[in-house]
Amino acid sequence: MTGSAGNAPDEALEVQARGGNLLAVCFTAMASPCEVLSSSADHAAALEMGTLAALEAQRIEKKFSRYRGDSVTAWIHENRGTRIEVDEETSSLIDFASRCFELSDGLFDITSGVLRHAWKFDGSDRVPEPDAIGNLLPLVGFDKLEWRSPHLLLPSGMELDFGGIGKEYAVDRAYDLLAAAHAAPFLINLGGDLRANRPPSQSPWQVGIERPDTDREARMILDLEHGALATSGDSRRYLLKDGVRYGHILDPRTGWPVPDAPRSVTVAASSCTEAGLLSTLALLNGARAREFLEEQGVRFWLL
Amino acid sequence: MQLKPGPRSLKAANARRQLMAASCALLGAAAARGQQSGTAPADSGLLEDWSVDSALAYYHENGRIRAIEPVVDVSKVTADGQALNFNATFDSLSGSSPNGALTSHSAQSFTSPSGKAVHDYTTAPGQLPVDPFYQDDRIAVGANWSLPVSRVDQLSAGAKLSDEHDFFSVTVNASIAHDFNEKNTTLSFGVSNEYDRLSPIGGAPVAGSNYALSEKTGGKTKDGVGALLGVTQVMTRNWLSEFNISVDRFKGYLNDPYKITSIIDNAGNTTGYEFESRPDQRTRKSAYWENRVGWSEQFSTALSLRYMSDDWGIRSDTAQLHLHWSLSNRERYIEPTFRWYRQTAADFYTPFILSTQQAATGYESADSRLGAFHALTYGLKYAQKLPGLGSRAESEFSVRAEYYQQTFDERMAVPAGLSGLDLYPGLKAVMVQVGWRF
Amino acid sequence: MRLKSPGFLFLLFGAPIMSGCASLGVQPWQRDVLAREEMRLDANPLDAAIDDHLYFSKEASSGGRSFAGGGCGCN
Repeated sequence: MTGSAGNAPDEALEVQARGGNLLAVCFTAMASPCEVLSSSADHAAALEMGTLAALEAQRIEKKFSRYRGDSVTAWIHENRGTRIEVDEETSSLIDFASRCFELSDGLFDITSGVLRHAWKFDGSDRVPEPDAIGNLLPLVGFDKLEWRSPHLLLPSGMELDFGGIGKEYAVDRAYDLLAAAHAAPFLINLGGDLRANRPPSQSPWQVGIERPDTDREARMILDLEHGALATSGDSRRYLLKDGVRYGHILDPRTGWPVPDAPRSVTVAASSCTEAGLLSTLALLNGARAREFLEEQGVRFWLL
Repeated sequence: MQLKPGPRSLKAANARRQLMAASCALLGAAAARGQQSGTAPADSGLLEDWSVDSALAYYHENGRIRAIEPVVDVSKVTADGQALNFNATFDSLSGSSPNGALTSHSAQSFTSPSGKAVHDYTTAPGQLPVDPFYQDDRIAVGANWSLPVSRVDQLSAGAKLSDEHDFFSVTVNASIAHDFNEKNTTLSFGVSNEYDRLSPIGGAPVAGSNYALSEKTGGKTKDGVGALLGVTQVMTRNWLSEFNISVDRFKGYLNDPYKITSIIDNAGNTTGYEFESRPDQRTRKSAYWENRVGWSEQFSTALSLRYMSDDWGIRSDTAQLHLHWSLSNRERYIEPTFRWYRQTAADFYTPFILSTQQAATGYESADSRLGAFHALTYGLKYAQKLPGLGSRAESEFSVRAEYYQQTFDERMAVPAGLSGLDLYPGLKAVMVQVGWRF
Repeated sequence: MRLKSPGFLFLLFGAPIMSGCASLGVQPWQRDVLAREEMRLDANPLDAAIDDHLYFSKEASSGGRSFAGGGCGCN
């Protein structure tokens, strides 16, 4: 699946003017507000960039969403228990997830989605029984599936969830398509995960990071020259029981939320995939998030 | 230096590079599939995938040898966990090197084939005979490669070449490492083979022959094989331990072609010299144990012990302790070091030969490095993190100094005529090094 | 005069401790301290290589941590 010839984005796109000589094209993808900002007066180029980005983000969403019956994820789940051959793109994503599983000693695990059957983070105090989690743990573990690219054998009962890497991957894919066709400075932002090629003429891109649990006005502004930013956080999904807050970041090895996880982590790296993985891992490191990020030597902001 | 198999988790020092490599592979594959291929998937330039470690060391041995040694080492980890490493060393030694002869009350003259030409030199009475024309430039290059063959197994291979005007060496090695017990235990086994070719100026002397007659033969070779078996064990959350046993055997021309032994009479006068004569085989066994403990956020230690014994009668014990203090939130650290070393003498080591016993000699060498001595090293290292180059996270600048002192332990009974002379002056050396890693 | 070597004592210590390997270790999420740069067994490889070269040229022993060959003409 390549390029954008002959397809149209899900909604009609238009170019808006923003302050500071920026042009913006907005669209929706992955259940988030998305935009492509460009720093040039060329409306046609801005619209083209927005269209390219929207098409690629929506393509990836449709292909990997676990909510759609026609996605690759749904097809994988239909064929659990049998050995199937996946396409190249899915294969490279699973390879990447496998490598991250290894590098993180099992903290990052795309088979952990099945735990959502026990945890419903609706702000109530309905914390699951230990049995409910115990019954699901045998179905979690990337090392329990058989993967030898491009052949996958997913045991029945287990699930694959590309949600943890899909959005950042989409940012990088859209970025590559835009960078190949356009030399002008641009920034692509898919719901808070973003990447820029060059700063607009005088100053860096100014990115606002929402502080969780406060109103939208109180933002932190970061300067971004080039590269990617990814944010992971647990602001709105949690359970509260007996004064203990259970965030929605679950440790796949125990099935329980990671205690003392920071509310929001933003990481800067050269690609969004890398930044996204580091911010996810920082959250999974709970109280050690700051130390972990310092060890990795990346720029980060903890809230 | 060999690549030692180590934990492959994200928390290891090169982990971020591995993650970058994995991301690049994902995005690079995607770009290759797309119609618009040709853009680099990530913003990194060519050299930024490689990490570079470099150092410049200066060595000075009191009044004698001076050496300067620049070293460069570059490594890279690929997306699938393969590691590549290339290194190059250049070292240049010059100064005065002891030639093995004994200090005497009379002046002594020698003809030296070391350095690049043949020189004559004289040693004053009461001075240790040293060859003042010693000059040696050496260049060495090496490469190492390691490949994970499964989740728990890793293969490594390496090669090294070294060349100086009178010595050429090539070494190859290979090893395999297996993790088990949830990567808490790693077992490794490796073998190595070294081939050396000596081409001393004027030819290698016939072993044990008379120095004055200067009987030389052509170039010589020696060959060594070695094996190493090691286990690395995570003991507790703060304590990592490594235990290795190794054996190696060298065969061939094992003499130092420039070293001679003094022949003295009962009155202590030097009557002549002969070239040294060592066995043509040497087998060594050693056991090594290292423990690294993180005592607190800022302070950790590394203690290693080594025992060696060989079939020349030499036994040695080594103990080395590094202390590490991280300061300023890990932006800098200091590392004092202390090392204690002791060895016994080779069976055939003798600082001199009595002329009355000359006929009974078999093997003999007056090379002080085969004698019985102990040595102490005191060292201190300071390092500072600096901003990285390009898209690298950071770099490290370090400076290190060491003081090394050897003191002889055994003194052979000498004829009365040599009393008053310092026959075992020992060795004092200083080493200073600056390093930059990025 | 024969030196009584303490080397044998540590050999005796080393072997039994290693034999208790199977029950020792940490969970994957407890590797934080071990992950620090200074806790790596091959921390500072250039320092070690420069030191090894120095000791190889001045002493009769070499190796232990890795292969014993010197690969140079300095001893």
